[in-house]
Amino acid sequence: MGNRKHLLFSSAVALGLLASFGAVAQDRFSCPQQGGDLVVGLEAAAGTLDQQTATSSATRNIAMNIFEALIIRDENMRPVPDLADSIEPSADGLSYTFKLRQGVKFHNGKPMTSADVVASFDRYKTVGVSRSILEAVAGWSAPDDATFVITLKAPQPNFLENLSSSTAPVVIMPAEEATKAAGQIDVIGTGPFKLGEFVPDSHVRLDRYADYTPGTTLTGLSGFAGYKQACVDTVTFRMLTETAARMAALETGEVHIVESVPAISMERLAAVEGVELLTLEAYGLNIGYPNWSAPPTDNIKVRQAMLAALNMDEIMEASTDGVYKLNPSLQFPGTAYFSEAGGELYNQANADKAKALLAEAGYNNEPIVLLTTQQITTMYNTALVMQAQLQAAGFNAELKVFDWPTALATSEKETTGWNFFFTHWTGSAAQGGATTLRNLAAPANIYKPQDPGGDPDYNAAFQRVQGGATIEDRAAAFADAQKTVFEHVLAIPFGVMSNVQGTRSNVKGFKPFYNTRVSNVWLEK
Amino acid sequence: MFGYIISRLLQAIPILILVSLIAFGIIYLIPGDAAVVIGGPSATPEELAQIRQNLGLDQPLHIQILTFYAHLFQGDLGRSLTLGIPVVDALLARSPITIGIAIYSLVLTILIGLSTGMLAALNHNRWIDQAATLFALLGVSLPNFWLALVMIVLFSVHLGWLPTGGYVPFTKDPIGWLRTATLPAVALALMQAGLLTRITRSTMLEVLNQDYIRTARAKGLPEWIVVGRHALANVMMPIVTMIGLVLSVLLSGSIVIETIFGVPGIGSLLGSAISNRDYPMIQGGLLFVTTALLLLNIVIDLLYTSLDPRIRVRGR
Amino acid sequence: MTDLVNEPSRLSLALDSARHWVKRLSANRSFLLGAILFGGICLFTLAAPLITSVDPNALSVRNRFKPPSELYLFGTDNLGRDMLSRVLNGARLSLGIGFAVVILNAVFGVFLGAIAGYYRRLDDLLMRIADALMAFPAVLLAIGIAAALGPSAATAIIALAVVYIPRTARVVRASILVARELDYVQAARAAGARDGRILWHHIMPNCMAPLIVQLSFVFAYAVLSEAVLSFLGLSAPPTVPSWGVLIAEGRTYLREAAWLTVIPGLAIAITVLGLNLLGDGLRDVLDPRMKVEQ
Repeated sequence: MGNRKHLLFSSAVALGLLASFGAVAQDRFSCPQQGGDLVVGLEAAAGTLDQQTATSSATRNIAMNIFEALIIRDENMRPVPDLADSIEPSADGLSYTFKLRQGVKFHNGKPMTSADVVASFDRYKTVGVSRSILEAVAGWSAPDDATFVITLKAPQPNFLENLSSSTAPVVIMPAEEATKAAGQIDVIGTGPFKLGEFVPDSHVRLDRYADYTPGTTLTGLSGFAGYKQACVDTVTFRMLTETAARMAALETGEVHIVESVPAISMERLAAVEGVELLTLEAYGLNIGYPNWSAPPTDNIKVRQAMLAALNMDEIMEASTDGVYKLNPSLQFPGTAYFSEAGGELYNQANADKAKALLAEAGYNNEPIVLLTTQQITTMYNTALVMQAQLQAAGFNAELKVFDWPTALATSEKETTGWNFFFTHWTGSAAQGGATTLRNLAAPANIYKPQDPGGDPDYNAAFQRVQGGATIEDRAAAFADAQKTVFEHVLAIPFGVMSNVQGTRSNVKGFKPFYNTRVSNVWLEK
Repeated sequence: MFGYIISRLLQAIPILILVSLIAFGIIYLIPGDAAVVIGGPSATPEELAQIRQNLGLDQPLHIQILTFYAHLFQGDLGRSLTLGIPVVDALLARSPITIGIAIYSLVLTILIGLSTGMLAALNHNRWIDQAATLFALLGVSLPNFWLALVMIVLFSVHLGWLPTGGYVPFTKDPIGWLRTATLPAVALALMQAGLLTRITRSTMLEVLNQDYIRTARAKGLPEWIVVGRHALANVMMPIVTMIGLVLSVLLSGSIVIETIFGVPGIGSLLGSAISNRDYPMIQGGLLFVTTALLLLNIVIDLLYTSLDPRIRVRGR
Repeated sequence: MTDLVNEPSRLSLALDSARHWVKRLSANRSFLLGAILFGGICLFTLAAPLITSVDPNALSVRNRFKPPSELYLFGTDNLGRDMLSRVLNGARLSLGIGFAVVILNAVFGVFLGAIAGYYRRLDDLLMRIADALMAFPAVLLAIGIAAALGPSAATAIIALAVVYIPRTARVVRASILVARELDYVQAARAAGARDGRILWHHIMPNCMAPLIVQLSFVFAYAVLSEAVLSFLGLSAPPTVPSWGVLIAEGRTYLREAAWLTVIPGLAIAITVLGLNLLGDGLRDVLDPRMKVEQ
């Protein structure tokens, strides 16, 4: 655990140290066995593999085995260099120098140089979905083939945290691809696997990239980064959206790895010969937020009454079929920004208090419209149980059910017609810090405050999360922001959802993560 | 005949315009757009705005509509928002998959329906008849998605005969195609076969009571010749009707089966186009499917006339 | 079948013929069995409030996935809701949707079919429109409507009506083409009767038999198709369960809690089977010439 100590310093400095520290490490991973076709059953169909322009996990699960970024997140979702061997911040905090990993070739055989990095960043600036992470950047340059320098307008202590965002990572592609429009690139990366075949709504086949040059700062796989090796010849990602069919495919051995095993199937599948279950304990945050513009949730007392009425145990039990953890936080337990500030308001299950607050608010049986979708079962069941609990506490709660795009667009565009919206924070919660909080801050303001400036207390804390000089400062600011979230009810986190994944027992080396990683995974013969 | 075909084709044009207007009406009414789907639950409004800009969705809808028609007249259906490839390419890549399974399923339908129907008619009012009738009725009484799920459990998990889903192109591996296409084809065929069984049975019963059949029998012709030559010929008409119906159901209504078995056909393409709010794909797909079905109708009508000269071209 | 051509204005004759049909229908095995199955389902549906007073949407998180037992006759679902109550209450919606589609079919199918069959100048146009509707992928239409308005019973009803009205119109049109050539219809026309009167009093009664048969099949298909639309999340909102919604919700638990899908599946199968038998029986008795359409 020597590496962890260094992270106590400012993360930027730590990264440089970590890089040089890891380089001397021995015992790098090597594939115990090679060959075979690894088949992965995904629950959602990926439309595009253009990683810079997509935020969906469906795309990431496949594309992040093809592409790599300069800096990305490790197993604990901390920033870590990947296509860079080292990252040196300047003393004034205004520039960052990336030394590129040497000997790296794209899947088209051309060597990767800083020109490709510049072109990829240029592209991200115009089509990259999370391009706001580059807001603080004044410019970038390539002093030589192996060096890339980013200059900031003003020091931003959490810049590397932002830059390493794994939502839509700034992946590096050949300069000639980087001129192409969103969704229209030839999928060429530097990763251990290259694209073989993409049949939308059916499958994606990846082939081992023989000329892959792994990063050597770590000795094994860590998060999105690390010392990666392709052990299998090919990987077939099959898009199996029908849960029962996906589970059947695991049972028959047609697929080796499946996502999202329903809780009720766990016992039965665990007993099936040749099937093993792995759990990613903290996969996502089951969360919802009120609409501050629409009466009666424009009234803080009504919102506090809602929060008081909820029994999170019951909500989580029903919505996840029992695979969950209660969690009075916007972060996952054990992570850098984790805090229980304001947590006493979580899981109150106090109908009497709710009724008293409602009376105080002068609530007159106005309808509380819970906006959700039946397409995502967890959200839908959360809404159902919440409706029952609110009704029991004297709310006139009703459901409004749409398909996902309509529900989300309604919550995004309409300030009336709904009072509470249900969603999941997966990657954004896992990445922590400002990434988690950004949705609730101005200008995103998903809770629709009447003042476009948003909740002043929250935004003040959010600014400190963005600008805090050290991780401790930022974590303290995070706690303040979270306290406001609970007290003013900007959002209501229900609990942490786990994700159970199933594998065949001949699959070795596979670890559940926020992404499906097929490097360093081998098939035992 | 040639004039008839031309006039039918011309009649199709207003229908197609109507369909494309309906499609626009739907698109106009549906809240939510492709950006919302691509962005997913935790996308920030800012990220959604970026995706919209990438996709050209920041244009007002009427501009998008005008652009669509401008391109349409140049034979260009535009580019899919989610797949990033031209709509025409996607349709051409997907339709052979659906057509292949549709034909397989049609063959199964005819084999099962015809034989059960004839068996029932030839054993009128005996137990075989009743069993066949029951089979036919059950076939049309069970929801086929339920049947599909049960078949996966039975034939894939318990018996291990066939894979649970997926698709292998026929050109690449005919055996693999047969293995993956069989369950979807059977699931689609069972309902249609039930219908065909009933049609065959009632047509046969009617024909077998006709005078010329009695005469043929009285002349001492073997039963199989009587049935084969005279009765079967009369069953052709309803079968042609069935082919039309079955193909139109299979071409447009196989979304459910394609979804369950993970078959990347035209049904799943259009289904996900709508749930992904992929406007160009919805537009192009609807026009494509409607055109295909209209052409199919014309062919069926022509088949009718050539099979039965008594029927004049419809509408006269 | 000249006995089909009855003079409807004479009450006694009509009563006679009604008795005649009842006698013939009750002798038809298929009709009887169908009537028993479908009648039984209808009876249970109507009697639902007497059988169970449990709220079909009442959650009981502690009682999730209880298999069928004395306490829960049909078991409970993933949120502990009582399946007996859900299936019985779901029947109302499933049959209600079917019935609404039948009514729409009767009204619009007869209207369009009659116009097309009687006013031959409009025939070509109307039949082409029918072609267009039959060519339009109805499932996609339903997906579109549901996406715009949210899933609702109305979505399913509209989509299914659009699919079946052209077919019903064709059946009506075909029988009108025959009926308008009948002697007494020609006579009425020669006597200067108005079109509406001829259509309503002289021609329509002759179309009733095939229409009733057709509608019984439409009912069956509507119940079945509603389930398919539910599977795609396009029919009733899940708060008001229909049988299709129940199967769609239960399908994830097919292996572990089979009762969630098997019981509503059987309910659909019995209803559709009953309606098909009913339709077969009606056809045998009322109009033996007619073949299965659809």
